[in-house]
Amino acid sequence: MRTLVLVLAVTLAFGAGPVTEKQLLEAQRDPGSWLHYGRNYAAWRYSEQTGINASNVARLAPRWIYQTGVNGKFETTPIVHGGLMYITAPSNHSYALDLATGRPIWHHYKPVPRGVNVCCGQVNRGFAMLGDTLYKVSLEATLQAIDSKTGQLLWETPVEDPKRGYSTTATPLIVKNSVIVGMAGAEFGTRGFIDSYDATTGKRLWRFWTVAGPGEPGAESWAGDSWKRGGASTWVTGSYDPELNLTYWGTGNPGPDFDGSVRKGDNLYSCSLVAVDATTGKLKWHFQFTPHDVHDWDSTHDPVLVDLDHNGRKVKAVLIANRNGFYYALDRTNGKMLTAKAYTQVSWADGIRPDGRPNLIAGQDPTEDGNKSCPGIGGGHNWQATTYSPATGLYYFPTTDGCQIYFKYAQEYVDGLWYQASTTQGIGDEPLVGSIVAVKPASGEIAWRYRLVSTPTSGLLSTAGGLVFGGDREGYVFALDSATGKVLWRFQTGGMVIAPPISYEFRGKQYIAIAAGSAMMTFSLP
Amino acid sequence: MVRVLLTGLLLLTAGSAQDKNPLHGNKDAIEAGKGMFRIYCAPCHGIAAQGGRGPDLTLGSYTAGNEDASLYRVIANGVAGTEMPGYSDRFDSDGIWRVVSYIRSVAGRPAPPLTGNRAAGEKLFWGKGACGACHRLGMRGSRIAPDLTLVGRTRSVEYLKEALVAPNASITPGYNTITIVTKEGKKIAGVQRNYDAFSAQVMDAQENYHSFFRDEVRSMERSLESMMPSYAATLSPRELDDMLAFLASLRGKGDTQ
Repeated sequence: MRTLVLVLAVTLAFGAGPVTEKQLLEAQRDPGSWLHYGRNYAAWRYSEQTGINASNVARLAPRWIYQTGVNGKFETTPIVHGGLMYITAPSNHSYALDLATGRPIWHHYKPVPRGVNVCCGQVNRGFAMLGDTLYKVSLEATLQAIDSKTGQLLWETPVEDPKRGYSTTATPLIVKNSVIVGMAGAEFGTRGFIDSYDATTGKRLWRFWTVAGPGEPGAESWAGDSWKRGGASTWVTGSYDPELNLTYWGTGNPGPDFDGSVRKGDNLYSCSLVAVDATTGKLKWHFQFTPHDVHDWDSTHDPVLVDLDHNGRKVKAVLIANRNGFYYALDRTNGKMLTAKAYTQVSWADGIRPDGRPNLIAGQDPTEDGNKSCPGIGGGHNWQATTYSPATGLYYFPTTDGCQIYFKYAQEYVDGLWYQASTTQGIGDEPLVGSIVAVKPASGEIAWRYRLVSTPTSGLLSTAGGLVFGGDREGYVFALDSATGKVLWRFQTGGMVIAPPISYEFRGKQYIAIAAGSAMMTFSLP
Repeated sequence: MVRVLLTGLLLLTAGSAQDKNPLHGNKDAIEAGKGMFRIYCAPCHGIAAQGGRGPDLTLGSYTAGNEDASLYRVIANGVAGTEMPGYSDRFDSDGIWRVVSYIRSVAGRPAPPLTGNRAAGEKLFWGKGACGACHRLGMRGSRIAPDLTLVGRTRSVEYLKEALVAPNASITPGYNTITIVTKEGKKIAGVQRNYDAFSAQVMDAQENYHSFFRDEVRSMERSLESMMPSYAATLSPRELDDMLAFLASLRGKGDTQ
């Protein structure tokens, strides 16, 4: 009897035990957990809690702060489960933190080996969880299974060879008993892919190459052997539709980024959304947003799955705020375009045709002396997490607004080293600025725009409390009214906010958590 | 004995790797270093390393020292008190050496001739140009505009030339003009110390700090125009050359009188 009471008490105190497939499917309904990168398989990043709402958010205050002491860009989306928060930090650090106090329960660390090349910092975007096991990738392109109770490494599977420019940074996606991972390294002459691994053994189940090779459909879109260095990396976690058993992943720029003359053709499946069967890894359909990209406009965004009313019929749609400056809604059963509309200043195309191809405007490509084009290299909308609120029916995402000068030069490829073939520069009297926009998903019409003074860095969270949370380059986290974009709360964290916020309930209270600088912070009402 | 010899050999190898660029002249390293330079360094040092807001690196002479180890140290750790950041968190040691290899490969351009008279330029700086009303040299002058004590070291000659006649072409980050109108209608203009979505901190012409929250004032505007006037019309070509000679000579302690 005493044992039973103890077991019950532990269960009540620390939630639900091992994470099951059912819990992952129903993650949206569990207020005490955050189990997926995008909260649910549809990547909504929406909290159904109303404890913190438009009428009381002004009183939101810090609850605890955990300082990792690790320098670098802190991009994690935490996993919250069983009274603990699991976070990954830069340079292969990760932690379990106590939800009540923020005190560390364990720390896992593996030094980054010499010779690992990464374009954009030694980042990691978070854990996935199944059973008692946490899954993360390492900078040296491995998949790691870690015991959630102790932080002990259970197994580690090589994904690719880091000496050839491959790395891994994205949060894995759990589907049934598999772990789906993407890769990074399109600036180093790699060939992109999406992998699936057995969650128990770490054995690879399938690989889908995001660059079509010889004999595969799309191979004709690469001149000569340019496919070997074709890029199309997959560095932001995809979403999953259990009914269709399809997983949706955005793909990055073709390599080299700015010199398209060495890779003539559309360069499939770079700058695309691919829908892949989650069991077999076979391509169901693809949609290429930017054929033959020469501006580094990766299509690595969270694909958000929403059922839309479109021309009087209900359509299973996927929403994409693309880096090329256009917002798209696609039919996620077949990849057909429903809507495309510019959400920021665009100079390279004057619209998207019904077949999905852009109406190109001449004279926009990079040159050796530099050529102005809009948006800038970061987009548009970059990787920052977006959010869909079923309460308002709006889709929210951060945007960078403005133009840059694009340069190119002929660069010889050296195995595993930088292969970008030039760069961009800002325009002195036209600094890039940013905004957070709320878009009507069926039409692409902008409902409201909240202007930032600099380019956005953080992702977003929407809540049933009528709020959109975000952060900025200057260290503020803030809450906007989800209906109007009006600022309702702000807090200066003292460090750049690059990660997206999350929300969960703990001991009857709603919390907001977000990484800022090198610290993880939580907020609640007094 | 074999172990002792081996250890000694390893130490020697490691030591030389730090002092001398192991990738010097390596074609692949230069090519990769050029790619890295264009992404990370070109925004300040220019697309061909010819200088800009950062020093000209094609002259083959570097303020922090001409040795490989000095270049490595500057790239890895940055230069305190300047806008040069360290890159050791982004590049491993081979990556830094590749950038050094590229920088060495473009060195050898002759320094642009400076025909002006330094002493005459200094007189203009404090006199007719009234530069000291905003800028500071050592302990003299005002604090509202960028300190120019090291400007000959941190900016290329071409950049300084442009700054004198077209100051809006490139405003030093953090030196925009902010104008605030309070709810009572009082107008305060100053130089940006911070400017964000919710607040601004500025220094006015009397070197006083002010801090405002955006939602507590009537308006808060940032101008993309520099507070600095153009000297294209007020100084003669000869005077501009003199001023340039003086500015280019400002490389640290002992330059000012």
